[in-house]
Amino acid sequence: MTKRVVITGLGAVTPIGSGKDEFWQALLHGKSGVSEVTRFDTTQYVRHRACEVKEFDFAPYAKASDRAIGKGSQLAIAAASQALEDAKLNLDSIDPYRIGVSVGTTAGEIQILEDANVVRHRDGEDAIDPNIFRQHPVNNIPSNVGIHLGLKGPNMIIPTACAAGNYAIGYACDLIRLGRVDYMLAGGSDPFSKVAFTGFCRLGAVAPDICQPFDKNRKGMMVGEGAGVILLESLDSAIARGVEPYAEVIGYGLSCDGYHMTTPHPDGVGVIAAMKKALQDAGITPEDVQYISAHGTGTPANDKAEVTAIKTVMGGHAKRVMISSIKSMIGHTMGAASALEAIACALAVKNNLVPPTINFEEADPECDIDCVPNQAREAQVNIALNNAYAFGGNNSCLVIRKL
Amino acid sequence: MTDRIVITGIGIISPIGTGKENFWQNLLAGANGFRPITLFDTVRYRTKLAAEITDFNPKIYLGSKGLRYFDRVSLLITSAAKLAVQDGNLEGIYQPDDVGAVIGSTFGSINSISSFDLEALREGPNYVSPMDFPNTVLNAPAARVAIQFEMKGLNSTISNAETSSLDAMQYAADFLRLNRVKALLVGGAYALTPDTYWGFYESKALSGSVEGDEEICAPFDSLHNGIILGEGAAVMSVETESFAKNRGAHIYGQISGYGNVFNPNPESDDSEWINAGRRAIKQALDEANLKPEDISLILSGANSSPKMDRVQTEIIKEVFGPVASEIPVSALKAQTGECLDATGAFQTVAALMAINSGQLPPIVKGKGSAEIKHVLITGSSFTGNSSALIISAPA
Repeated sequence: MTKRVVITGLGAVTPIGSGKDEFWQALLHGKSGVSEVTRFDTTQYVRHRACEVKEFDFAPYAKASDRAIGKGSQLAIAAASQALEDAKLNLDSIDPYRIGVSVGTTAGEIQILEDANVVRHRDGEDAIDPNIFRQHPVNNIPSNVGIHLGLKGPNMIIPTACAAGNYAIGYACDLIRLGRVDYMLAGGSDPFSKVAFTGFCRLGAVAPDICQPFDKNRKGMMVGEGAGVILLESLDSAIARGVEPYAEVIGYGLSCDGYHMTTPHPDGVGVIAAMKKALQDAGITPEDVQYISAHGTGTPANDKAEVTAIKTVMGGHAKRVMISSIKSMIGHTMGAASALEAIACALAVKNNLVPPTINFEEADPECDIDCVPNQAREAQVNIALNNAYAFGGNNSCLVIRKL
Repeated sequence: MTDRIVITGIGIISPIGTGKENFWQNLLAGANGFRPITLFDTVRYRTKLAAEITDFNPKIYLGSKGLRYFDRVSLLITSAAKLAVQDGNLEGIYQPDDVGAVIGSTFGSINSISSFDLEALREGPNYVSPMDFPNTVLNAPAARVAIQFEMKGLNSTISNAETSSLDAMQYAADFLRLNRVKALLVGGAYALTPDTYWGFYESKALSGSVEGDEEICAPFDSLHNGIILGEGAAVMSVETESFAKNRGAHIYGQISGYGNVFNPNPESDDSEWINAGRRAIKQALDEANLKPEDISLILSGANSSPKMDRVQTEIIKEVFGPVASEIPVSALKAQTGECLDATGAFQTVAALMAINSGQLPPIVKGKGSAEIKHVLITGSSFTGNSSALIISAPA
């Protein structure tokens, strides 16, 4: 008898707001997180805009005992702390060995390395503070969450790039289903990465002004940053604690293109496989799905391929299902993206409200779907799919259901 | 949930030999891989040694086509994967959707990330090659494996540093137990890079980094004063027993137990770390349904760091009590160095070879038993994870 896994706490630090309420209201109001890059000078770049988290203040979350830590850890600790508080889980009342951390990321504490390289380039190797290197390895993120909160269960980082949040949440669900732990803080965290901004600019993938998923004139993605963390536990545990879950995670699917490092498979076979496996794992049919939170980066190639894949999996139902991309608002928050999108899905099924795809101006015949253009919508949502894809051909799909 | 998880193929590229037989014979012979570093300049350091792989030629395993954009860690892991696929007779027998790869890698990509970033600083952001960008993602080594062998069922990376490949084993085993795939290539890799070397040096973790200390890798020895880094990759084919038996595969051993505990006070005294390591082993023994005295060999994560060695010693004493002095303990990092993400995979290969050959690797204490049935592998990271994996003889 496998356990049912539910989401009981949400934590989000995003370019459009911090905390689940602020984040959700901003999503429903179609707020855009795009602005000029502040972290570094973009004069030499072909693009200048991104979705940074403005005014992030770690102080309210900090403890005197915290070591010097990077922004990836700070964002993750903030989101994890929010999720715990939201779930009304008092850590003093539970066995610390029965709660773990599972985080996804693309680049982790890359800002530490980038800052060091600026010094190295300008003043030479000897000018770098060597002590910063210990903060750089990516496992610092879950480790710092565990240290900050005193958690002793499994402590994992799964860096499967832009799909990492879904991977981390999926494995956390498995650990609960298999009875290895009682609670998991799961999600993703990525601070704004110059390496990512540079790389995506060089690939010609970054939009000049705004992110317009599924629009005929979409010009690319927006590099973003943030963290999303959810608290997962068994349904029995939530009932025993007397908390009302947001939603249930009823399955997920992963696949790999095994095709190319950066170019998705032209026929979308991996994307299709991930969605089919997710439906199968959840024991549902395409017609059961009302909402798909798309990967929807806003690049011409991604959105077209994703729509084609969704049509293949959903058949005639693809016309009826609502498909939006919150990346139109928060940009592509890398490893945090699918975690934040999972939060959006949980709130969508909880509230029967669907966040929009903003910046939608002109329909694209190749993306002839209901992308919930520009305005949030009130609609019955029982089941939501959360799609996320990544470099290396990593594909994922998480299934979230109303309780 | 009842299907056993078995290991059917071994691929290893290590500082003491390539391929399971070379590695094992050199391990038995007490060979080590320590030599002056040639991969990068060490003039600024007091320390000069690493267990560097000097005779690595990926073309032997992967051909010469398409390797131009692979970085060293990707070449190491993909070459080791090739050896595992060959050794496990997996070539051409699987449906791509039924197989995948789970790779432990944390530190190996840093050179690619840093080079890309520095190139953009030096030449301007519009002149850095987009072809170098994919290597900056930490899942690149695993993705290279998937592409090379057309494995589409799962592709994942675990970046838990020193415990990565032990944790990857359990992650993979859980995936197999849940019937999501039939076989997975599982392992870990680390390639020596100047930035990680620098970081370990400056944090005084390297042996010989303090004036007056001899540069020596001597786990559990009174001369120990820090680690010497090593590099390499090991990959194993891990499958459900039913899949392995149906295809008539040789079974080296099975994954019978695993435990992992996080120590949220990694910089406090040893006691919490010892407690974490002890509980991780307890979890592994419970999952395997074994008692401490059932363990025939311990492959310890001791790495010549005085703190790590002391902690690993205390963990063994606490778990094994009166039998602690009976069970043979081996620390293969004495020969390979601290290979970080590859370490747990090297230990797992050694466990399988010990079970299959009936021979013990060089041991620091204890005495050999007649039969090697259950091998306990331990590992800890300096960021707080303690993991334990039990590899048992085939059922």
